[in-house]
Amino acid sequence: MLSLMIFIPIITSILLFIIPLSLRITKIISLLASTIVALLSLKVYSDFQAISSLQFVEQYAWIKSYGISYHIGLDGVSLGLVMMVALLMPLIGIGLINRDKKGFWLNLLLAQGGIMGAALSLDLMLFYLFWETMLLPIFFMIGLYGYGRNSFISMKFTLYTIFGSLIMLLGILFLAIAYKNQFGEYSFALNDMSQVVLSEKESLFTFLAFMLAFAIKVPLFPFHTWLSDTYRSASTGAVVVMSALMAKLGVYAMWRFLFTLFETTSNELSLYFIILGLFGLIYFGILAMHQSHLKRLFAFSSASHLSLIVVGIFIYDVYGLLGSSYFIVAHALSSAGLFLMVGMLYERTKTHSLEALGGIAKQAPQFGFLFAFFALSTVGIPGTAGFVSEVLIILGAFNYNIYVGFISATSILVAILFVFTMLQKTIYSKVQSATENFYDLSKSELIALIPIAILIVIMGVFPNYFLKQIEPTALDSISKTATIQGAK
Amino acid sequence: MFGLPAIIIILAVPVFTALFILLLGTTKYYSKKIGYRLTVITLLILVYLLSADLSTAHSTLLFKELFNEMLIYDTYSTLFILLFILGTFLSLSIGKSYIYKSDIFTPESFSLILFSLFGMILLAMTNELLSAFIALEIASLSVYVLVGIHHHSLRASEAFFKYLLLGSFAGSFYLLGLMLIYAQVGSTHFNQIAMFMYTHPISEIYLIVAGGLLLMITIMFKIAAMPFGAWVLDVYEGASLPITAFMAGTFKIAIFAIALRLFIGIFAQIKDFYDPLIVASAILTLVSGSLLAMVQTNIKRMLAASSIVHSGYLLIGLSSIGEIGTYATQSILFYLIAYFISATGALGILAYISNGVEKEISYDSLKGLGRQHPFLSAALTVFMLSLAGFPSTIGFLGKFYIFTSAIEAGYTLLALLGILAAFVSIYYYFKVISMLYFYEAEGEKVVYGEAYSFLFIMLSSVAVLWGGIGTGLVSFMPGANAITDITHLVIESLYIFSN
Repeated sequence: MLSLMIFIPIITSILLFIIPLSLRITKIISLLASTIVALLSLKVYSDFQAISSLQFVEQYAWIKSYGISYHIGLDGVSLGLVMMVALLMPLIGIGLINRDKKGFWLNLLLAQGGIMGAALSLDLMLFYLFWETMLLPIFFMIGLYGYGRNSFISMKFTLYTIFGSLIMLLGILFLAIAYKNQFGEYSFALNDMSQVVLSEKESLFTFLAFMLAFAIKVPLFPFHTWLSDTYRSASTGAVVVMSALMAKLGVYAMWRFLFTLFETTSNELSLYFIILGLFGLIYFGILAMHQSHLKRLFAFSSASHLSLIVVGIFIYDVYGLLGSSYFIVAHALSSAGLFLMVGMLYERTKTHSLEALGGIAKQAPQFGFLFAFFALSTVGIPGTAGFVSEVLIILGAFNYNIYVGFISATSILVAILFVFTMLQKTIYSKVQSATENFYDLSKSELIALIPIAILIVIMGVFPNYFLKQIEPTALDSISKTATIQGAK
Repeated sequence: MFGLPAIIIILAVPVFTALFILLLGTTKYYSKKIGYRLTVITLLILVYLLSADLSTAHSTLLFKELFNEMLIYDTYSTLFILLFILGTFLSLSIGKSYIYKSDIFTPESFSLILFSLFGMILLAMTNELLSAFIALEIASLSVYVLVGIHHHSLRASEAFFKYLLLGSFAGSFYLLGLMLIYAQVGSTHFNQIAMFMYTHPISEIYLIVAGGLLLMITIMFKIAAMPFGAWVLDVYEGASLPITAFMAGTFKIAIFAIALRLFIGIFAQIKDFYDPLIVASAILTLVSGSLLAMVQTNIKRMLAASSIVHSGYLLIGLSSIGEIGTYATQSILFYLIAYFISATGALGILAYISNGVEKEISYDSLKGLGRQHPFLSAALTVFMLSLAGFPSTIGFLGKFYIFTSAIEAGYTLLALLGILAAFVSIYYYFKVISMLYFYEAEGEKVVYGEAYSFLFIMLSSVAVLWGGIGTGLVSFMPGANAITDITHLVIESLYIFSN
């Protein structure tokens, strides 16, 4: 079943490339493919048992002599991620229905398959394969459909990310060989490799090799220098995929791989990453305040929130982990909605500049309402999913240390500040020349946005229904580290 | 006796077909079509005869009495011979469109290709230093002439002379080394040299060490490893594209056939002497190759420079061969296979789109190809990804094996350098991809002929992908796993004889 969720999009994409069909049919088929995946994910969700172990595991030998296998599975934390990718993809497709490039749809499907694969992999080589492969569609999407110096930017982004990945590859190989030296045979399975005993120095270097790849993807300060250029140049589709889905994968991978492979080291280094995360939270927030370009503003605001998620997982607290995994989904929904709307706004006004906008609420009340809703849901107003997750993370932070708790609680105010400024400038204030002929949301746009909004509200009002699926995994993960800390 | 009659045929058929084409070429019955078809059919027959021998580990001395144990036919040589034949076949098939449209392919060129194939086959089977030299020269001389076959082109003539002079000069080192080894051992047989080293203390085999060093210089020259590889750019550029593909893909493997046999076989005991040198050369090759490749504006030259980098990766593999070294040797074999398909494909596409005309293919001339020829561009993208070592292609697995064996041998920093070189290579390979897709076409859509060539371009791009992700689930298509299994048999066969 999980394999189907990975390969339906990929195979559909390849078939659509080989068989030349008209644009209309291409769109229909690719929407159909992502809808099927979404339905499958609902089935997975209902079959998922709220226990901490991995479920729906599939394993086939791939490269036998090196112990590499096709090994996928799902637990509470990845469940959220997978559900979010599966459910968002058709909605994103509907939201961008007027994209008239066939390649766009193929790349979108490819990206979906890659992200899904990376989220489900339990074998490091398989993970690496998907982790790199999902970069390719983004490379094409920026280069083909971006704005400005897009081919240069897409190259820069690709090189930046691949650099991280290649260093991670070195880390993976190093671990695999350490495993072989200790156990006599190769294996790249996550479970096996977590048993490797490394010296303190080796463990540190390998940890950093992995961390580099993930930190670039998130991005964590100071690896964010690709961010603003890339988001500005990328087309809406690419931005939505990157911010809503891929960046989350970086955080998820930190938890999944770093915490499993380097239990002790990640625990020891956690303070540094909490500090980096908190710094990023404030620094990106302040950067966001000073942007006049809408996409860059949201790029930095997402980076700021992702830093908070990183803090949430590194405080080693049940609430923190629960909140982070909840925030991964919540923020993905909000930012997907938000970036889709920024794309729609650009189509109508041909500008991303805050100065040129204004008075949208008067011209297009539905647009104004939803835009405000998504913007506010990213900062976590009560009643939205963001609120629940932020409260959980802050609770966890207070459990960890009162200062960390205090800083993370107050710095959320920064986010509220720039969101209100932004809203005031765009949807209120005076109508400007760019927004004079601003028309309201079309049917297909509403179909795409309203489900996302409803999901955000449901997740905000009934968090227990979702959290109970994640809880066993989170408890299990934390109790493991508690024993390590106890042992010391 | 393992398929002995088949071996005679394999050695004889290329030579006789070559002579036949040469003779036929002087008559009025000859046309390019006939020459081409004869060559291709010969290759297909050879593949058919050989392919069954890959499934087992075997080792036979050929005509013990006649050749005095100079030739050996084992799984090792079977694999290499198959690769040579497939490589020649692939270069010719993809290059068909170029060969037909261009007027430089005379009857001699087909004969020369077959002669060089014969030399390479001999090189893979040789078990003795002198015959190895003869085989190497047969193959090299044919390639020298093939490079210069376009005798009206100044650039081709320049390439020919450069290659000939430098190649012969490098070849003389080999003879010198051979002489030193003979002076000490009194024989040029691999087995006897190995036996001599086994029974004597290290202080009595210094001549062999020095001789081996000289042999290494020739090998380094031929595989274009720095500091001996500077000829590659001009020679690859001067040769016509199908020939470049043949050299980069097939001829390079041939050198490794003898290099690996030397290093796993007879020099295994004294490899510690050479390791620092190989490592130094690997570092030099990776760094200078990457720098060279980055600054090229002509794609053919870029591919030539990047082939230096690929030699660097192979040298990393060579330096990681330890005492037993199964994994390292397997990784080299796998890398050779991976590189051979990808490079032949990439250069083949260049040949295909140049339509039989010798012209510079710059990055700019690829602009807009993605929209005009989606399948061709997709194939070129796949080859570029594979050369860059991007996951889900066979090139990635090749690099993965090489780096793994390097780290296992304790060369973690060397592996890091290799990874950095791979990172740099992303830049120049992705530049090609971005040219294909991110720019508008400058000219009108050109129609490229020969569906046959196109078919083989597609087939090899599928093979590149399948080699990267293929599994054992589809039994009739050997994936990465099957290739690893074969390489394992190959290594096994090397030790059958020595026991």
